[in-house]
Amino acid sequence: MNDQLAQQLVNFLGVAVLLCPAALLAILGVWSLLGLRLSERVISRLTQAFVIAGLLAAVGILAVMLVSGRRRLTLPLGDWIVLPNLAGGEDHPFHFTFTFVFDRLSVPFVILSFLLVGTIGAFATKYLHREPGYARFFLLYAIFLVGMVVSSLAGTIETLFTGWELVGLSSALLVGFFHERASPVQNGLRVWSVYRMADAAFLIATVMLHHLTSSGDFTKLMGAKPWPEGAADISSSTALVVGLLLLVAAAGKSALVPFSGWLPRAMEGPTPSSAIFYGALSVHLGAFLLLRVSPLLERSVILCACVVALGAVSAAFGALAARVQCDVKSALAFASLTQVGIIVVEIGLGFRYLPLVHIMGHACLRSLQLLRAPTLLRDYHDLENAIGGRLPRRPAVWQRLAPEHFRGRIYRLALERGYWDTLLANSIVRPFKRFFRWCDALEGRWTRFLAGAESREADRPDFVGSVADDL
Amino acid sequence: MLRAAELTELQHVIDHAAHYLPTQGPLTVFVHHNTLHAFEDRSFSLAVREAFERYGCQPYFSESRYREELAGGRIRPDDLAAVLQEDLGDGADELVGLLGTRFHLRLAMLQHSLHSAPSAELRWVIAETDALRRFRQDVPSELRKRALDSTRRWIMRDFRGAHNLAGAYSAELRGIVSELFDELRGASIEEWTDDAWESFYLRLLWRICSAGVRNVACTPGPSVGGHRHRDELLNAAGHDSDELVNDVLIRFCAAFLDQGFAHWTLPDRDAGFYRSFLELYGQPGGLLPAWMHGIPQELRRLNEHNVPPLECIADSLERLGVAATEREQFIMSSLLALRGWAGMIWQMETNAQWTLHPAPKGSLTELLAIRLLLERYAVSFTAREQLGYDGSLAALRDAIGARYSPRADGSAVQRAFLFFQLAQVRGLTPEQLYRQPPKTWARLGEEMEAFSELERRRIFQLAYERRYRIETLDAISVQAKRIREGPAAASAPPLFQLFCCIDDREESFRRHLEEIEPRCETFGYAGFFGVAMYYRGAAEAYPRPLCPVVIKPNHYVEEHPADAVAEAHRRRAWARRLLGSASHEVHRGSLSLVGGAVASVFGSIASLPMVLRILFPRTTAHLRRLAGHTVRPPATQLLLERQDPTPGPEPGHIGYTVSEMADVVERTLRDNGLTSTFAPLVILLGHGSSSLNNPHESAYNCGACSGGRGGPNARAFAQMANDPRVRALLAERGLRLPAGTHFLGGFHNTCNDDVQFFDLDRLPSARAAYVDHARKAIDEARRRNAHERCRRFESAPLSLSAATALVHVQERSEDLSQARPEYNHATNAVTFVGRRSRTRGLYMDRRSFLASYDPTQDDESGTILARLLEAVIPVCAGISLEYYFSTVDTLGYGCGSKLPHNITSLLGVMEGALTDLRPGLSAQMVEIHEPMRHVFVIEATPEVMDRLIDASPMLSRIIRHEWAQLAVLSTEDDRIYVLAGGRRWELYQPESTRLPKAARSIDWYRGWRGHLGYALIMGESDASVRPTGEPRATTGAL
Repeated sequence: MNDQLAQQLVNFLGVAVLLCPAALLAILGVWSLLGLRLSERVISRLTQAFVIAGLLAAVGILAVMLVSGRRRLTLPLGDWIVLPNLAGGEDHPFHFTFTFVFDRLSVPFVILSFLLVGTIGAFATKYLHREPGYARFFLLYAIFLVGMVVSSLAGTIETLFTGWELVGLSSALLVGFFHERASPVQNGLRVWSVYRMADAAFLIATVMLHHLTSSGDFTKLMGAKPWPEGAADISSSTALVVGLLLLVAAAGKSALVPFSGWLPRAMEGPTPSSAIFYGALSVHLGAFLLLRVSPLLERSVILCACVVALGAVSAAFGALAARVQCDVKSALAFASLTQVGIIVVEIGLGFRYLPLVHIMGHACLRSLQLLRAPTLLRDYHDLENAIGGRLPRRPAVWQRLAPEHFRGRIYRLALERGYWDTLLANSIVRPFKRFFRWCDALEGRWTRFLAGAESREADRPDFVGSVADDL
Repeated sequence: MLRAAELTELQHVIDHAAHYLPTQGPLTVFVHHNTLHAFEDRSFSLAVREAFERYGCQPYFSESRYREELAGGRIRPDDLAAVLQEDLGDGADELVGLLGTRFHLRLAMLQHSLHSAPSAELRWVIAETDALRRFRQDVPSELRKRALDSTRRWIMRDFRGAHNLAGAYSAELRGIVSELFDELRGASIEEWTDDAWESFYLRLLWRICSAGVRNVACTPGPSVGGHRHRDELLNAAGHDSDELVNDVLIRFCAAFLDQGFAHWTLPDRDAGFYRSFLELYGQPGGLLPAWMHGIPQELRRLNEHNVPPLECIADSLERLGVAATEREQFIMSSLLALRGWAGMIWQMETNAQWTLHPAPKGSLTELLAIRLLLERYAVSFTAREQLGYDGSLAALRDAIGARYSPRADGSAVQRAFLFFQLAQVRGLTPEQLYRQPPKTWARLGEEMEAFSELERRRIFQLAYERRYRIETLDAISVQAKRIREGPAAASAPPLFQLFCCIDDREESFRRHLEEIEPRCETFGYAGFFGVAMYYRGAAEAYPRPLCPVVIKPNHYVEEHPADAVAEAHRRRAWARRLLGSASHEVHRGSLSLVGGAVASVFGSIASLPMVLRILFPRTTAHLRRLAGHTVRPPATQLLLERQDPTPGPEPGHIGYTVSEMADVVERTLRDNGLTSTFAPLVILLGHGSSSLNNPHESAYNCGACSGGRGGPNARAFAQMANDPRVRALLAERGLRLPAGTHFLGGFHNTCNDDVQFFDLDRLPSARAAYVDHARKAIDEARRRNAHERCRRFESAPLSLSAATALVHVQERSEDLSQARPEYNHATNAVTFVGRRSRTRGLYMDRRSFLASYDPTQDDESGTILARLLEAVIPVCAGISLEYYFSTVDTLGYGCGSKLPHNITSLLGVMEGALTDLRPGLSAQMVEIHEPMRHVFVIEATPEVMDRLIDASPMLSRIIRHEWAQLAVLSTEDDRIYVLAGGRRWELYQPESTRLPKAARSIDWYRGWRGHLGYALIMGESDASVRPTGEPRATTGAL
């Protein structure tokens, strides 16, 4: 197969891969914007059709890559901003483009996304039958799919960020899916705020990269060789700073330490959304980001050490916390965290294909486990019958060896989910709140002074009740 | 000493409060029961109201829902009038001011939806909507015209004419009118259009109403919830201190109660809730949330001084400033703050000795001790943070009360708006209204207040129940008349007889079977068929009770492999154990560090079965079954007979003696009135249900088998009744079973409509032809039954054929993604206890429990009936009441939507991440249910019924307090008597004397999703009946 034909095929198939989820989102979104209701049947048919089409296109690209033997194919969607070089050189001081890359990292990931999202979609079609939020669920689902496809295929860091944001948005909204109760909304907000922190780090990293290389293209940043063989063309200290920022972003998205507190709280949505987000795809996105920028990691040993350390702590903590959880979804959430931690360690240690295989296998396994979590009672009953008695429970080796008071502390640490929530609350949220309260008090004093009388009546808690009955 | 007495008293209060906690035990043994069981010593209407105040859960549907039912014809205006008349009694005709009699006032309030809302919203409605410009939609046009005309006449002639006559109209009215003239350009009043007059009329009406209600005194509505510190804080500051406390407590309760899910057990769990909490949270170190500062020190103090939990409670109450008078209330609402968990602890403490880890005695008290302790800290933290309050906890509530006056609910606006709307729909004019003296206003206000929203909903509910009751009783009386007047039934012995559970889901199955083979006879009996036993199957680890929960079985029965295949059985048991251990290891390992890594590297392989299972559930299940054949036990037999006199679980004590078997068989047959004309083949079908991804699976099983599957009971009964020695004993007792009669046990899966038979290899060859024939009929009945069920599933097309409908229900039961494998008892509404001939051929829409009972074989005092009702009424009423409450308030009494459920501690479900345990039924289970108190129709005389009710405390509670409705079909004259008010028997006058007819059930229900009314199924031979144009449904809603 000659290169030109391959490129043409990729242009066609690549657009199809991107367009399928986007079209799904557009149709569902426009309909709900117009306030029209699509029937469950139509929604599920549309979803099915677009996901299958997208999947076939992605598999087609894989075939083209295999046949043509090319390991990286790009699909540029035009330059959006190009500032001309006033000095007259060839390169631009700044440009902004949407480019999509098909390589050994993105293609497996995008196929995995389509496969899992499609399966979960088929599941949700029946599971959410007659649910008032049916259309809303599939709208958010389409946003998520677009986000996943865009971030997997992203060829520039801004493109990746776009997808990343869409994933975060749909994730937080799905946690708060049952908005008639308070706790899903609160937990959705919590997930959202952690994501914002991660996104802030990501954004700063993006700006820095732009500053350094005048564009966000991964090719520029990581060298021209196809993943994973690229080499970053920046200094080790810059790599460290940018890498650390990206590590924070990845940690927020993948619920690594110290952001782990949100993961069990995210289990508020319907079971299929929990499965796809926190069992399968969303939680691995942080690891995917690290894989994508892996050439950056290779520039700095300290950075690698940080990655390994963060992954190891997360994995250890996840394994510990999973042991004491009494509800099936939290236990699975922490078990996910454990594996994501290990995957991050593998990335830090310089493996490339192993973490990719690990991600794919883990995503499949965990989403299956989450999907059948409601059948736990029956499964346990069947297992007991098969074994012919109670299920054996053996404490871990270290548990038997450790002194008693130490065990107590560790248990409490695990039960309190590592105190990470408390840590964030005490060290970030409370000072923040206190500062703004102080500002607020200052403003109150200022307005009182200006008004020369009591001001800001609406602040008083009894204000609402005291409205004069003016009728 | 005084202190000790006080503590005993305190313990007493706690134990009393515990009765108000939910009584649902572990989910693996789900038994339907009345959600408000604790309130059964009060009448239903009082109880639901009290429960509303205590739990904040709705007692009835919302008013708007009832209005929809009224508009859809499910409730008729004459139902409303009838129940209202009966409810008011003599007070109905009392005149209440302008609006006619009390009856008319209330009827108007029921028929017209009078909008009410918080006062702020009403002000908005007045200011921003066209409430003051246009009449309400539901004011008839002639009424509008009359009101406008008379207002116009009054203003133009009298008012303006009298304008100069001082004293003719009060200054206030003149002020109002002149203000309105200013607003509406009164100078050109002669040129006003109709619209302008309409606006003028409404504005004037509104102002007069607003002025009028000043004379009406306010009475506070029912208060919901308690007056804990947290409630006051929530009102004042909008911050919920319970969130802080619950976050800690939920996790701890789950760990404390865990039945083996977590791999690491709570340290010191055996020391009890209190001690274990003290140890765990009293440890130094760790990172504390701000509100918990000081708690570890306090816990260590309690630990060191060995303060018992009761004293800790007393201490907390004192610090919180809880007076002795409110103590009981306070403790109750504190326990109810996390009632799912508190209830589960109480159940595990008192009622769960069979579980792996029951809770030690006193756990609930210990929970309360910890709760109050945490609450002290959470409340003072919230008060300090949000209100800047630093004083003592004891004074907190008073301080809040002093600083933040409770929000005025602006009830003046609300009341004025009510008057305003009522005046419109009754066509009152401002002239009439303004003339009313303050006394009349006050009187009207009281009347309207007395008929509050809750009262209106109560009346609606009564009307809702009345409509269905009338349809039911009409149908039964038509049927009774038909039997009385029709030709005597041919007395040829039936081809086969079939026993089913009384379950409402078997009604359609029996009906279809009788349609297919008119020469069969069916009976309904509690699905354990009188065999109360602990049973252990050949592939089961433990014995489980298979009998109603009220019975504690003495007998144990085991299933053993047949001797011929013992070796194969051993091999398969070994293979099962191996596979089981392996999959358990994989499951455990996948959650751990190293094991998880290994499992997930190979995890991609897991995706194949997952995708297949989701996309092709039925095929995958079929393949799994085929594979499962290699490990399932081969041919088995029941170990049923015992020689030793004492029953027990040990070898040698398992089973029944021959005379005990005879007792069981005799009782069951006599209860059903089957003592002669035995068919050559008698089939018994136990029932159960299998579904996937359904934490509430056991709720779908047989209620008479404690949420187990009733197949073994049917099998055991058949084996007993086939035993020649048993038959010989029975013959001595006057119950002669023909030698040619063979009993056959079987199992009906109500989810996938599968029927399987046991011990076919023991069938005498002479009976094989009968079995073949019966099986053919049953196979057809399964298909038709599946078809009838499918009409209720929105996801099953109405165009399904009977065969594809069976495939559809099979798929449902194997589908991981199916949240509604079946609808269980939803729509249940009636129980009929009597001869099947009284209901045979009646289409009852799977809404009725059918218990067989022959009053002609019972004695004068109704001995058989007494023992039947002792089980039937509490069980059926319990099921119906659980459905009632879960339907009217799915979030409060029920467990909400199934979709976010999260199984916890292998005991119950939480909604999502970290919430209270949710007992009750899910939205997906109750969505098609019509909440009504169950109608029992019993073949007996009122006198016998009265005697039976008074003899049984359980029945009197349910019937006398109106938790169920009761009617009897008199055995003497086939007339129906209805029990009114729980005490008075009233002769029932049927509303209609004919029923629609159809040839087959399918002709009646085809193409219809909603509830269906009664119909007579005439049989295929009767070609004269074809569907007529008569209305089919009780409601138009789909």
